[in-house]
Amino acid sequence: MKKRVATVLVVGAGPAGARCAETLRAEGFDGRVILVGGEREAPYERPALSKEFLAGACESEGVLLRPPLFWADREIELVLGTRIGFVDASRRTAVSTTGKVFAWDALVLATGARPRRFPGPAVRGVHTLRSLREALALRRALRAGSRLTVVGAGFVGTEVASTAAGLGVEVVLLAAGRGPLERVLGLEVGALLVDRYRAHGVDVRLGARVTRFVADGRRRLRTLVLSDGKRLHSDAALVGLGAIPECAPVSGLASEGGIATDACGRTNIPSVYACGDVASAWRPSLGRRLRIEHWTNATAQGAAAARAILGDEQPHDEAPYFWSDQFGLRLQYVGHADKWAAVEIEGERDSFIAMYRGGDGRVLASLFANRAREVAAFRRELAAARAAA
Amino acid sequence: MAAYRIALERTLCSGFAACAKSAPEVFRLDESGVAETLVGESDDPSILDAAAACPMGAIAVFAASGEQLA
Repeated sequence: MKKRVATVLVVGAGPAGARCAETLRAEGFDGRVILVGGEREAPYERPALSKEFLAGACESEGVLLRPPLFWADREIELVLGTRIGFVDASRRTAVSTTGKVFAWDALVLATGARPRRFPGPAVRGVHTLRSLREALALRRALRAGSRLTVVGAGFVGTEVASTAAGLGVEVVLLAAGRGPLERVLGLEVGALLVDRYRAHGVDVRLGARVTRFVADGRRRLRTLVLSDGKRLHSDAALVGLGAIPECAPVSGLASEGGIATDACGRTNIPSVYACGDVASAWRPSLGRRLRIEHWTNATAQGAAAARAILGDEQPHDEAPYFWSDQFGLRLQYVGHADKWAAVEIEGERDSFIAMYRGGDGRVLASLFANRAREVAAFRRELAAARAAA
Repeated sequence: MAAYRIALERTLCSGFAACAKSAPEVFRLDESGVAETLVGESDDPSILDAAAACPMGAIAVFAASGEQLA
C-alpha cells in the first residue's frame, strides 16, 4: 500500500510552486504544505515586472499572485526569505542556508531560473530583471530624457524597451543577431517588429554585441563598448541575455538542461518532483524533454506535480503558450517550433498572424499580434491535430 | 437586459487573475485557481478591461445584440 504523504515541502514560491501548493489544497490534501520562497515577498507574478510595474502603473501589492490572507486561509505555511542549501533525499530532510531543517514526505523543486549576467565586475547602473527588487531598481533608473541601453533583444529586453520608451526614456536596443526575438519568431516577424520599434523612437542596432561596460571613478556606468569598437554613452543598461535554471540542492538528480522530469513532474529520485522554469519535462507529443520559461507552463506543471503527489496521474502535455505586450502589440504564441520550413504572415503591421510550418506543411505554431479573438480557436485546432497524430 | 454577456472558457484559464483584478464584481478565482464568473451578464464596463487583460484570451464579451465586443 502506498504510504500516506503527511508533509509536502515546496521549494520556490513563484507561479509553479504557488500553484502546486494551491492545487494540493484544492484537491483536498489535508497534510502540511510548506511553501519556501527565497525572496522576502509573498508569491508574486513576474510578467508585470517588465510592463505595468516597471511603468509605475502598479505597486508591489498589485503584483501579488493572491491576496495576503489567501495562504493562511488554506493553511499553506509560507516561509519567505529562505533558501534551501542542501537536501538529503534518503533522510527526507532539507536544510536552509541559515540552518533551518525541514522534514518532508514529498519534495517539489520549483526554484526557477536566474538571469544570465554579463561577465566582469559589477557596475552600478547595469541591471538585470527577474525579481521585484530588480524591477524596483530599474524603475528608479528610468527617468524621462535619460538613456537606457538594452543588451539583448529577447522578451525581457524588448518589453523593457517598450516600457522605457513609453516613459520618455531614450532607448537603444542591441540585438546580437539579425533581429529581435530571432530564435523564437524568426527573421520575417523580426523585421516587422524592428520597423515598429524604430517608429516608436527606439534606436535598434542589429548584430551589435557589448564587449564591456566602462564605469566612472564611482563604479557607475558611463559607456558601453561594442564589438565593432563603437562607444555608447548610457545612463543605465539592462542586460537581457536569458536565464539559466537554478542549481538543484539535491545530489543524484538527473538533469537535461534543467531537472529532468516525466510529464507529471517526477524526477529520477522517488518523492522528489520538479516544475516550472527549473524543470526539463518530458513532452509526450514532442517525444523529448523541454525546459520552457512560460507562465502557463509553470502553473500547469505545478498543478500536475501536486496531483501526482496525491496519486492522480495527469500528465502535462499542453501546447506551449506565451504572450508579450510591447509597443502597442499583444503578441500571443501557441505551439512549439524550434525550427520551421516556412513562415506565412497574414494581415498588416498593427494586427497580423504568423504561421510556422514544418517541412510536411503542418502548422507547428502560430503567433497572433493583436488578434486575440483567434487564439482560442487555434489552440483547439492544434490540440485536435496533436490528439489525432 | 444587461449590456454585456460574458463567456469564459475555463479550459483556457491559467489563473493569472487579471480578470478578478479588473472586474472583481464579475470574476473570481475558484479553489483551484481557475477563473469563474459570478454573473452571466452585467452592465459593468470593466469586464471589457478584464477581457482585454486576460493573457489567455479566455474571456469573450458580447453585446445584447449578439455582437462580439471583446
